[in-house]
Amino acid sequence: MAADTSPVRPELFECRSLRVGIAGRALLPPFDLTIRAGEFWAVVGRNGAGKTTWLRTLLGLLPPIAGKVRSAVDVRVSYLPQRSGMDDLYPLSAREVVSIGAERGWSFLGGVGARGRQDKVEQALAEVGAAELAERPFRRLSEGQKQRVLFARLAAADAEVAILDEPTSAMDKVAEKEAFELISTLRDTHGLAVLVVSHYLSIVSQFADRAILLDSDSQQVVSGAPREVFAHPAFRARYGDFVEEATGA
Amino acid sequence: MPEVTAAPSASGAFDFDALLAPGLPAPNVPAPAASISAPVSHPAAPAAAQETQPAWHDFASSWSLYRDPILCGVVAGAVLGVLGVFVVLRRAVFVTAAVSQSAALGVALAFLLGIYLGFTPPPVLCAFALALASTGVLAWRQRSATLPREAIVGLLYVGASALAVLVGDRIAQEAEDITAILFGTAVLVRPEDFLAVLTVSGVVGLSVALLYRGLVFAGFDPEGARVHGLPVAWLELALWVLVALEVSVTTRAIGALPVFAFSVLPAMAALLVVKRLGHAVLLAGLLGALSAGLGYLAAFFFRFPVGAAEACVGATFFLIAAVVARLRPSV
Repeated sequence: MAADTSPVRPELFECRSLRVGIAGRALLPPFDLTIRAGEFWAVVGRNGAGKTTWLRTLLGLLPPIAGKVRSAVDVRVSYLPQRSGMDDLYPLSAREVVSIGAERGWSFLGGVGARGRQDKVEQALAEVGAAELAERPFRRLSEGQKQRVLFARLAAADAEVAILDEPTSAMDKVAEKEAFELISTLRDTHGLAVLVVSHYLSIVSQFADRAILLDSDSQQVVSGAPREVFAHPAFRARYGDFVEEATGA
Repeated sequence: MPEVTAAPSASGAFDFDALLAPGLPAPNVPAPAASISAPVSHPAAPAAAQETQPAWHDFASSWSLYRDPILCGVVAGAVLGVLGVFVVLRRAVFVTAAVSQSAALGVALAFLLGIYLGFTPPPVLCAFALALASTGVLAWRQRSATLPREAIVGLLYVGASALAVLVGDRIAQEAEDITAILFGTAVLVRPEDFLAVLTVSGVVGLSVALLYRGLVFAGFDPEGARVHGLPVAWLELALWVLVALEVSVTTRAIGALPVFAFSVLPAMAALLVVKRLGHAVLLAGLLGALSAGLGYLAAFFFRFPVGAAEACVGATFFLIAAVVARLRPSV
């Protein structure tokens, strides 16, 4: 499943001497990183390691403590936050979640009637196998079904980069594997770069071609091919008994 | 303040008789051509006749008198009902109460300035300025971690209400006006207020239609919307400016109590019984309009205060919706 990571792929994000943190307090040491089109990144680390903080900094939702994040001009990013980020009070159908969530910039001023947009929504729902969910209230769907609908939103939004923060945290292993297969398919179909936070190391290691370990306790950031990262002493120190799960050894 | 805007009785109940009382300037509505029967007759009519229950033909014969206030309430109820869906979904129902009380204070201050400075600024502009200021305070304090927004909402509500009453105490000439604005006892509406409600409601309604998808995305998934480049902060600002605008104009025309009721109760009822947000918006607008129209009729036939009757009709719709929601599968 490893994708071509040749340097000719365009750079989408570049972190230079980036320090991330909250309320002026740095969580991690400065690090450099480049994310290119089509790459599938696994973001790993224990709870509180700084994963979400880094992703939010990358997205511009948090300011860097130091250093810079550069993004390609007009890069289209989609973000699937942890489930708590969406408000279940809103009575939206699955189709509406995909349709409204596909808006970018000021496109919402264009109204609901755009034929091309509706076609794209239907196509995206079908692509992720959620066509039969279209009319159902989003808030009444199971967590797995919700994720499927959110993947459809990602496809409908013409994203170049998908950032997923523990998208499968409420799923069992089988459902998680299916979700990762879907993400991988979307990556192949749409040429997406994917950054995904997950604690299921064995599944992550099957799909990712790049990995980054964040560890605020030991103040280490390790990135590279998954095999290299999972073999790193910092990873072994943090994950101990689970190293075999990650490496399949 | 040369004109009368309301004809509340001492209790605030619907008192058509007072409209034609000697000593009060004529209201800015066409006088009914025919004589008016007992319940809406001149105060000089025999007391027994005044207690007679008004009938439909009384209402019909005086339709020209009630048309504008009813239409004003219906338009205000519809647009406030629509706005209310977004207010309720943002868990900010008492923001509207605080904003409407601030608008009422703005009107009272306009009268006060007229007495002490000899120049009365347009009350609607003062209402809008105060409503906007309170919205701004709430938006600013939302970023604070020291006190929850609800506490600031409470402060603004109590402060604005108390100040409006205090200011009203210093402008005895307009005391009835202040009561009408605070509790919605106004039976009539000035032509200029009616026009302002129609104009502003049209602008607000169109703006909500234009911004609808952005408002929904920004409310449902604010971080996702920001990542997609939507102007989330601008959309929030736009929503609350629209609320301040509509609330200030309608508070001046129909009073703070019904304005608060229209901006909360129809939306709550609609959100209980429908499965789609778009349908909830339409239903809330309809229920808001019906609350105003039926509330006015109830006030006429049962001699209730208008604003309270309208609020009670809105509450009744909510109770009906709650029963319907209990009897139906969950949405």
